[in-house]
Amino acid sequence: MNFSGSIMLVDDEAHIRKFISLLLRHLGVDRIMEAANGSLAIELYKKEQPDLVMLDVNMPVMDGLETLRALKAINPDCVVIMLTSLANRQTIDQAAALGAANYIRKDAPAEEIGRALSETIEACFEPDEPAGSPPPP
Amino acid sequence: MAGPTLSPFIDLTGRRILAVDDDRINLRIIGGILRHEGYEIAEAASGEQALEVYADFHPNLVLLDVMMPGIDGFATCRTLKTTYGDKCAPVIFVTAKSEADDVVMGFEAGGVDYLTKPFRPKEVVARIRTHLSNQQLVEQQKLLVEQLSKANAAKDRFLGMCAHDLRNPLSSIRGLAELMVEDAIGPLSTEQREIVQTIHGASQSMLQLVNELLDVATIEAGHLKLAKEPTSVVEIVERSVHLSNIEAAKKNTRIELVKAGSDRMVDVDRNKIRQVVDNLISNAVKYSPRGSVITVLIHSDESGAGFAVRDSGPGIPDSERHKLFKDYGRLSSVPTGGEKSTGLGLAISRKIVEAHDGTIGVENIPGRGAEFVVRLPLSK
Repeated sequence: MNFSGSIMLVDDEAHIRKFISLLLRHLGVDRIMEAANGSLAIELYKKEQPDLVMLDVNMPVMDGLETLRALKAINPDCVVIMLTSLANRQTIDQAAALGAANYIRKDAPAEEIGRALSETIEACFEPDEPAGSPPPP
Repeated sequence: MAGPTLSPFIDLTGRRILAVDDDRINLRIIGGILRHEGYEIAEAASGEQALEVYADFHPNLVLLDVMMPGIDGFATCRTLKTTYGDKCAPVIFVTAKSEADDVVMGFEAGGVDYLTKPFRPKEVVARIRTHLSNQQLVEQQKLLVEQLSKANAAKDRFLGMCAHDLRNPLSSIRGLAELMVEDAIGPLSTEQREIVQTIHGASQSMLQLVNELLDVATIEAGHLKLAKEPTSVVEIVERSVHLSNIEAAKKNTRIELVKAGSDRMVDVDRNKIRQVVDNLISNAVKYSPRGSVITVLIHSDESGAGFAVRDSGPGIPDSERHKLFKDYGRLSSVPTGGEKSTGLGLAISRKIVEAHDGTIGVENIPGRGAEFVVRLPLSK
C-alpha cells in the first residue's frame, strides 16, 4: 500500500488494536499510534496530528461519533475511517454526515479491511504526498 | 428468565359466581348447591343490584334470571357486555320456561348458556363447571402466550448480546491468525503453519455461527431493517461469484456465471441480498464434490429478476425438504470438504428474500444436484 503517513488507531479493545496495527504494519504502514478511548485519542491527535484516524464506534467514556465530532472540530479536514462491529445503517449515516471518510467492519477478513483502507487512502490523499494534507474537497 | 408455568389440573375452588334472581327462594337453592361445590357466591335481587355487585365482586361467572322487575336479565347482560367488553365474565341465563324465543334472545344478548327452573342440581353443577373450566383455560392460555413471548424476547436479547460480545474477540483471533499465515510476523515452520491455519479455520467458522445467530436474533426481534436502493442483479451476483471463486478454488471447484436475459434493476438492500447469494453459493460449494462446477444463472423477465445456483451435490431428499428453510434445519447431507454448517443460512436467506417480497425455492435437477432459485420484484 502506497501510504507513508501516520495512522492513529482508536479502540477500547486491546486485541482489536493488536490485530489492526499488525495488519497496518503488514501493509507497510510504520507510523502507527494507538489510543484506548475517545478522550485519549483527542489528546494524542492534538499532540501528534496523525494523517489518518481509524476510530471505533462503540466505546465507553466517549463514543466514536462524539470523538469524530471533536476531531472534526479540531481539524475539519482530518481523514477518519470508522471501525464498526455491526453494520448499523443509522450509525454509518450519522458518521458520514459528520464527515467520516469511510467505515470498515472489524469482522471482515484482513484482506477486505486492507482493500477498504487502500481505497480510502487513494480517495483522500494525493499519490506520493507523504505526510498527508488531504486535497481540498 | 422464568419458564412458562401451567397448573396441570383445573382447580375451580374459590371461583366467584354472581347469582341474580328476584326470587329469594331460588337464590337460596342455587347458592346452597354452588357453595357446596366450593365456589364463592354473591347474590343480587335485581338487574340494577347485579350491576353494582358485579363491579365490586368481579365474578368469574354470572347466573342471571331473565324475568325480573326493573331491567330484565337480557338488558342487564347487554349492559355488562358493553361495560366490561372482552373481560366480562360468561353469563348463563336462568329462565322459568324453556321457550325457544327466550333461549335465542339470551344468546343474542351475549349469554353463553341457559338453565331452566326448576333446577336439577347435577345439571347446574355440570354446566357451571364446564363454563368455568373453559374460562380458566382461556385465561391460562393468554398467560402462557404472554410468558412465552416474554421468554422468547429474552432469548433473542440474550442471543444477540452473546453474539455481539463474542464477535470482536473472534474477529481478532481470526485476523491475527490470518496475518500469521501470511508471514506478517515472520516465516512459520510447517507445523506452526498448520496450527495457525487450524486456529484460523476454527475461529472463522465460529465467527460465522455467531454472525448467523445475531442475524436470527435481529430478524426474530423484528429488527431487520432494509436499506433498499435500485441495484443491478448482475452487479451483486458478479461480485459474489468473484469472491466465492477464491474460496472454492481450495476445493478445485469452479463457479461459472451465466447471464440469461438482460440485466434488470431491483430495489434491494445490497448487503442483505449479497448475503443470500454468498450463502447459496457457499452451500453449493460445500455440498458438491471436489472439482465440481457450480453454475450461477442470472435470469429476468417482465415480472421479476433474480438468480439461480445449481450445484452438483446429492440433491434434497423429498423427506427432508420441509426442514430446508427452517432455523437449524440441518439435513442428512454432509459437506464434502469437512466444512461446518449451522443450519441457519437458508433460514436467514428465506427471511431476507421474503422481507424483499421475493421468493426462494429449490428444485432437484434430474441426474444430480439441486437448484436454488431466488426471484425478486423489479424496481418500479
